[in-house]
This record gives sequence, structure tokens and C-alpha cells, in this order.
Amino acid sequence: MNKTLLGYVPDESPIYAVHPFVKLFFLLIVSLFPMFVTAPDWNIGLMVVIIIFMWISRVNMSTLKIYIPVAISMGTIIFLSYTVMGGTHPEFELLARVAGVNFYWERIRDALVVYFRVLPMIFTMVFFLSTSRERDVIVAMRSIKVPFVVTYVFAMSLRSAGMVLEDFHIVRQAEQARGFDPAGKSLPYKIRQYVMYMIPLFALSLRRSEEFTNALVARGYAFTGEISKVKRADYILTHYSYKYFDYIFIAIIGLAFVALLVFRYGFGYFQVDQSWLIGLLREAVS
Amino acid sequence: MTSVIEIKDYTWRYLHTESPALNSINLTIEEGSFVGIIGPNGAGKTTLAYSVDGLIPGQYNGIKKGTVKIFGKEVESYKKGELQQVVGVVFSDPEAQFTAMTVEDELVFGMENIGLTIPEIRERLEWVTELTGLSDLLLKPPYEISGGQKQRVALAAVLAMKPKLLILDEPTSMLDPVSRKKIFEVLKILKTEEDNTIVVIEHSLENLVPLADQMILMADSEIILQDRTKDFFKESGLLLEKGVYPPGALHFFHELSNQGLYRGEYPLTVEQGKDLLRQLIQ
Repeated sequence: MNKTLLGYVPDESPIYAVHPFVKLFFLLIVSLFPMFVTAPDWNIGLMVVIIIFMWISRVNMSTLKIYIPVAISMGTIIFLSYTVMGGTHPEFELLARVAGVNFYWERIRDALVVYFRVLPMIFTMVFFLSTSRERDVIVAMRSIKVPFVVTYVFAMSLRSAGMVLEDFHIVRQAEQARGFDPAGKSLPYKIRQYVMYMIPLFALSLRRSEEFTNALVARGYAFTGEISKVKRADYILTHYSYKYFDYIFIAIIGLAFVALLVFRYGFGYFQVDQSWLIGLLREAVS
Repeated sequence: MTSVIEIKDYTWRYLHTESPALNSINLTIEEGSFVGIIGPNGAGKTTLAYSVDGLIPGQYNGIKKGTVKIFGKEVESYKKGELQQVVGVVFSDPEAQFTAMTVEDELVFGMENIGLTIPEIRERLEWVTELTGLSDLLLKPPYEISGGQKQRVALAAVLAMKPKLLILDEPTSMLDPVSRKKIFEVLKILKTEEDNTIVVIEHSLENLVPLADQMILMADSEIILQDRTKDFFKESGLLLEKGVYPPGALHFFHELSNQGLYRGEYPLTVEQGKDLLRQLIQ
């Protein structure tokens, strides 16, 4: 298995044939699609397409289970924001009034629309991170001539996230070895005791930054000065080349986006009132 | 011979500390020599390595007295990144030195920083991976390989930049004996086939002593003893007093000497000790 930013992909996967830039382009463009689509049906369709891509890429689908609680909590927050904290709107259709809270049809509909706009964006990001390594991100960015310093800082931030998690495990194990284990304790207790983790974690992070700075200096890297202006050979890029199908994928993604805009603003498609799902729900609550 | 390192009356005190980390250091290291630096923890060995690589005073605040010259030029007068092209440092914690996400990227990073072209990088990459036995690990993340492999990656990344002066700060402190041996095998090749000046700070002497032309003992922020390796270990009493235990063979002959059973030069390796002992018995 090959470790990616968010999971594992088998050693053999069709995704390796695709240039990293295509994956980045997919992320940047396809995650914009839901912003122009209000009908949830289309956004659900997009999620299905992304799941098919993940299946084709042989992403370990069991890792997706970890996003179910995220999806549920996000949905709950959106629903509560639009209903319980949605305020009073006499101009909307009141469906029910429970414990002084008004539930309007329009607010429930809008909550659904927003939820199904955010979900495909997350799916697109999960697909990208599940099929890309840090190196792919660097190659993708460098291949479109993003300055090295930007690419490098981005890659370092990806790396540091992993390191903080690793350090957290070390600190937790060290605390447990000294008899401190919040397992089975109440949530307020856990939160209070989290300080026990945070202080050493913060100290470790400071030390890591010092070591990392030293390593950069020792390797002759500087963010400023003449040395920072040295023309980099971008050796890694020599391992990657664009194939004909990469251009086809880029064209398809680009054209799909243009088509979406044309259908949305030229012909009025993807509107919420055209949604079959919303219509079904409307009938159900009437 | 040209002096690679020339340190005169050098004192360094870190900010907010009472006593200096290095005190009145005078040290000259000639080009092409292999120098071992030993001493107890807190003796100032790492600070000395940082001073030679420009990390001090560049990255640390403190008070400096005296001069530290590398290839005849004061450390501070080198431009950013210029000193690191001639001085390479390998630190004790290999993971703390990694700057990239695959072994190959790690090795290439330094070479790109100094502006090498793609053919030059390719050539050096082949050389360094063969030298350090990393050819099969190029696509792996450096965090997911064994400790010994990690340290070889760190060493290879510095070697690929072909520094004239190589400093290794306790490069084997986190390694098992087999991995230690592998690191010193690489250093042996560098000593015999390349013209690098190598300074190794190390606690484990078994591997270091056979390679070192010169040894330095540091304690309490000062250089206590500096001599050719063979002569250096004549002062075994002083070394033991400072908590430095000489290699087994050498220690054994030192004890024989104390008992009046042996007079002569101490052997540096087990092999030399074996030959000497055979001669004594015969």
C-alpha cells in the first residue's frame, strides 16, 4: 500500500498514471461546481461520481467511514443554524412550532441546499488527499510555476500537521506511562486534563521548529538573500511528464465547468425549484 | 597543509545563561584530516559544531569572543547559504533533519539549494545512493524507514552537497551496533577515497578510533586534550577521570601498563590488540 495524505492506495492503481497537476486541477475546479448548483440532486450526483472515481483509484473505502461523524455533526450544525437559530420570518411558511421554535419550510430547504453544497466540496478534497502524496502536491504546484517558497511552505505545513499528531501520540503515551489516562472519565474532566497534553506538545513543537530551521540552514536554504534567488533545477519534475490523456482530463474538467456556467446562467438550470428531491420533500411535509 | 578550521580564543555564551558553553577554545584542523571529538554531555561539543557551521551566531543569540575561521574566512563574513556549501553537518537526531517527503527529495533538496543542474544532481544522486546503500529506498518517506537508514539518509543528503568539511554530531547515538558500523563504513570510504576533512563528535569510540588521525577531548566547555590518536590514548587516566572509556583493547593494555606488565604503544583496535597480545605471549 502507498501512503497518501489521508490514507492508503494500493501499489497498483490507475491514479498513478495521472499527472499530479490533473489531480490538483480536479480539486480546484470541481470543488467550485457546488457553488453554482443549488439543486441537491446534482450535488448528490457529483458525490456519486467522486465515489466512483475513488473506487476506480482503489482508495481504501473503509477509511471513508471516519467522515460519517463529521458529515452528521456538520449537518446538525447547519440544520440548527437555519432552524433553531434561524430567527422569526413571518413571510415564510410555518410548518411547526416546537417549544417556541418556529420551523419554516424555506429555512429547512435552505439548510438542505447548503448541506448538499458543502458535502461534495469535502468529497472532492477527500478524493484529492486520498490519492495524493505530499510530493504530488509539490510537483503539481511546481509544474505550474508556483514559486518554490510557496510550494515549500505549503508542503511543510502538510508535514507539520502529521508531526503534531505524531507528537501528540508520544505525549499521550508518556502521560499514560505515568498513570494519567482520561479514558472512561467525563468530558469536562477530559477537557480540563487536556492541558496535560497541550503543554508538552507546545514545548515539543517549539523544539521541532528550532531543529527544522537548523536543518534548513545546514542544507543551504534561506528564504531571503542571494541564495534564495538561485535557479532551482526542479529535479523531481523530471520523473513526471504529461501524457495525452492528462490533456484530455484537463480539457474535460475545464469544459465541464464552462458547460455548468452556461447551463446555470444561460438556461437557468440547477435551480432549487427544479430539484426533484426538494419537490419530494415539499410534498412530504405539506 | 591548509587550515580548514582555525579557532582562536573563542568563547561563546548563550543568552540568558551564566557560564559560557565554550570557553577560550583554540583549535586548528588541517585539510584532509579525520578528527574525533569526545567528551561528556554538556562539554560544548554540539555548540562547537554549530559554531563551525555558522548556526552560531546566525541562529542563536549569545555573546561571542574570539574568532572562528573556516577556510581562512571568518564565519560571519560568509553570505547566507555560502558557508553551508563548504561545511556539511549531520545531527544526532536524523528525523529532525528531514526537510522533504521522500528519500529522493531529501537527497536532492540540498543540491537544488546550491544551484546544481539536473545532470549534476542525477550524477551525484547515483554516487551517494550507491555509497550509502539507499538505492531501494528513494521513493519511501524518510519517516517510515529504520533508524539506521534514516541516519544514512541524513548523511547522504549532506554528502550529496559535497562539502569540503563534514561534521557529524553524534551520528550514531540513536543507532544499533550494526547500523553504527554501516555509518562508519561510509566514513571509511570517504576518508580513503575522497579528500574530505571529517570531524566526528561521538561517544562510541570502537568505530571512531580506528579512523581518526587526531582526537580531541572536551570537558567543561574547554578543550582538555588534543593529540594524534595513538598519543591521545596514552592519557587514559585523564580520559577515565573525565568519564570517557577508551575502546576495550586500548583499555586492556592501559591496565596491563598500570600493572607494569606492558610498555609500549596502545593498540587502537581489537585486531591490533590481538597481534600485540600474541607477541607478548610469544
